[in-house]
Amino acid sequence: MRSTPAPIERLITALKRLPGIGEKSATRLSFYLLGAPDAVVHELGEAIDRLKHEIVLCQICFDLTDESPCAICRDDRRDPSAICVVEEPADLVAIERSRAFRGRYHVLGGTLSPIDGVGPDELRIAELEARLKSGEVGEVILATNPNAEGDATAHHISTRLAESGVKCSRIACGMPLGGDLEYADHVTIGRSMENRGPI
Amino acid sequence: MASIRTEALILRSVDFGESDRILHLLVPEIGRLPVIAKGARRSVRRFSGTLDLFNHVKIQVDIRRPNSLARLDQASLIDPFLAMRSESARFALGCYLLELFDRLAPERGVRTDMQRLFSFALGALRMVAERAPDLRLRTLIELRALDALGLRPEFSRCVRCGSAPAGRSPIGFHVAEGGVVCDPCCAQIDGIQRIHPGTLRALEQGLRLDFDRLDRLVMSGPSLAEAHQLLTRFQRFHLGVELRSAPYLDRVLRSPAAG
Ligand SMILES: [Zn+2]
Ligand SMILES: [Zn+2]
Repeated sequence: MRSTPAPIERLITALKRLPGIGEKSATRLSFYLLGAPDAVVHELGEAIDRLKHEIVLCQICFDLTDESPCAICRDDRRDPSAICVVEEPADLVAIERSRAFRGRYHVLGGTLSPIDGVGPDELRIAELEARLKSGEVGEVILATNPNAEGDATAHHISTRLAESGVKCSRIACGMPLGGDLEYADHVTIGRSMENRGPI
Repeated sequence: MASIRTEALILRSVDFGESDRILHLLVPEIGRLPVIAKGARRSVRRFSGTLDLFNHVKIQVDIRRPNSLARLDQASLIDPFLAMRSESARFALGCYLLELFDRLAPERGVRTDMQRLFSFALGALRMVAERAPDLRLRTLIELRALDALGLRPEFSRCVRCGSAPAGRSPIGFHVAEGGVVCDPCCAQIDGIQRIHPGTLRALEQGLRLDFDRLDRLVMSGPSLAEAHQLLTRFQRFHLGVELRSAPYLDRVLRSPAAG
């Protein structure tokens, strides 16, 4: 069998490291790029290169941005009295997509995970406390994922913020839309009952 | 064995690829069992709420393929030990125990030993979930966990000659030999650590007491500190490394507010 030339092989290897890309897709993409107009290939290369150079962390909320403070932190139509705490930038994107929240955010950079060596100092909790000192914030909404680490992190933060006088709330947890009670686990059903609201 | 239905405790959960998750389970018939849960990250429905740390679950696993990861086909929740999530010391000690089991539980161990280990693990989590953990509870549970994992230190008889060291002066303990060493035998080996007889007696009791009554054992401050240090060295020797969750647990138990 004829071996693939080294430059193509190198690109295939690089592409295979991307999430969701296997050997087949990587090969297909590589040959596509080989046959594509120079401008297309150049644009892609430059976009990848600039990604790492131009994306920085917002110095207020720690979201990814090309300009710090980020657009949300700069936007004075957003409610400065509510901060929604999320694990990762992707979670912020998900909440923004819902259009259900008009306050500002704080990205922790993960959750407490002792088994991975992640303790409170590895998360941006002290930075959150510093933000509350202005006195402008009235509510912190803890939107970490409702799993063991996310719940533990939310409890940890609410304990730490208890003295600040700022109200802490936790996103509700319950039945998913289109869900089926018959197939739901008893903890989800239990939490749905606890977090029930008026109709 | 091919497809088995049993119970499991979830020790560790790691995202794998786009949509899967790899779980380390503790299973009563087998011991430690790594499995892959296909589609666990994508489908809310498939394993809804069941694949979290600390979860005690009913499972169906396919272990047919000898050289590849076992596949988790079904899981349903028995007990999520939710109390672990709502208090720092519980979460820290709970994670520490899960890591200890994950590192030291054998894969495909002797069935009766694994059944004993599994019930111990559930009992230990139950105890942590019901108490406000402190250094004493941590030390005693860790001692019993090492015992359940087949690493029982010997506190009453010399591991070399079998004699019972007596007297009030500190007694030799050799971590690599796994227990106390009498004075004549001490002369023949290096690396002896001296432990107060009162501490050794407390640890011995800690091994013998009914597990449910473990937290009635009283230990003085210095004795507890000595026991904790001894067990840490003993555990490090058998593990080769410090547990990753140890610094967090140390910190939380030192000052609960900081955890
Ligand atoms: Zn920002
Ligand atoms: Zn001896």
